[in-house]
Amino acid sequence: MWRTALLSALLLLGGWASARWLTLDFQAWTDEDARRLAVALHPVPVPAVTLQNTQQRSQSLPALLAENDAITIVDFFYSRCESICLSLGSSMQQLQTALQTQPNPGVRLLSISFDGAYDAPAQLQAYARQLGADPQLWQFARLPDPAEQAALLHRLGVVVIPNGRGDYEHNAALLLLDAQGRLLRIFDLAEQQLALDYARHLASQTQPATTVARQP
Amino acid sequence: MKALAAPAPRQLLAASLLLCALLLLPAARHGLEASMWRHMLLQFPLWLLAGALSGAALPAASRQRLARYNAHGISGLLLASLVLALLMVPRVLDLALYRADVEAAKFIALYAAGAALYLSWSLAGRIVQAFFLGNLLPMMVVVGQLYIDSPLRLCNAYLLDDQERLGQWLIALAALLALCWLARVLWQLVQREQAAEKSAEKQPQTLAASVLTAIKAE
Repeated sequence: MWRTALLSALLLLGGWASARWLTLDFQAWTDEDARRLAVALHPVPVPAVTLQNTQQRSQSLPALLAENDAITIVDFFYSRCESICLSLGSSMQQLQTALQTQPNPGVRLLSISFDGAYDAPAQLQAYARQLGADPQLWQFARLPDPAEQAALLHRLGVVVIPNGRGDYEHNAALLLLDAQGRLLRIFDLAEQQLALDYARHLASQTQPATTVARQP
Repeated sequence: MKALAAPAPRQLLAASLLLCALLLLPAARHGLEASMWRHMLLQFPLWLLAGALSGAALPAASRQRLARYNAHGISGLLLASLVLALLMVPRVLDLALYRADVEAAKFIALYAAGAALYLSWSLAGRIVQAFFLGNLLPMMVVVGQLYIDSPLRLCNAYLLDDQERLGQWLIALAALLALCWLARVLWQLVQREQAAEKSAEKQPQTLAASVLTAIKAE
């Protein structure tokens, strides 16, 4: 009997250790939670992929982020979508409204299409107009190169799967990227206020430093 | 369980290894892991079955040696409980798709759990069995309900309707397993009662027979 007790104790210990490893100390039960936790602990540098905007202008993503010189809230979409993307669109719309009523030059919005083959600049333009996007605040872009698009999605942990009915499902979220081209945080769509507050907080921390740097 | 023990151990081991080889084929792996319900409700049980076959192939001597560490099947059923509980964490399903080490660990754990289940079930009395099922089945129902109710996808690699279907089937499977176990227990009780009745009938007969032979002898 003592052998059984000893073995059972060892098994319990092993089970507990595995559970701890699997759930990152009992904090993450899904892979999405784990991804968000990992990003919050270690910011992820974005790859130097080329984006094309509604004006057909091509620019690398790090260059765009640096040019924005702001915290950029990024979401992924595809313009043919009619299900969750509508809520994604409205999340971003509400963020834009909040930024219009309480302007903050340190926060920008960027929607990137993961359907780069279809979402040509004209499509992006039409989609942006449909959502009432203000180009000063909210940019739209696609990745013309499929390999680069896959690389960006992979790096940022965005998983897109076709649902067999011509649509896609993806782990839609709000991604906070800084001017140095790093992914800092990921927020749920429902947490848009939190995402905005956090972006404003980050912007207020970084803005004085850049103005000081510019003065001389 | 006893009917399974009829084929030769070597055949059982061969069947177990063959099933493992089939499950390891890339086509089978990808096919079974392409959807969430197949991943959890087909691939998991098939690995458990492969493990159970290897457990059945074990010679009696090693079985007895193992049983010393497995009084009343407690260690084995604990192992199976832990493995199944861990594998119900949604993160495992995603991780197993893109991390080979997690995938391998998953297979080994399920294989071991299957063997442990086979070797422990008959050792465990009804109380230990009931304790094991009383843990496992409610957990399956809770996880199933979570999968049905969640408005969000719990696995990035799987669709929302797939997740809902898995939830419904998990609950159905838990109910089915509970019914099967109860039916088996009832059946065993009925059998035992019948056997008791028969032996009770037999006794007067043997008495009468002995009286008869005694009379004849006289």
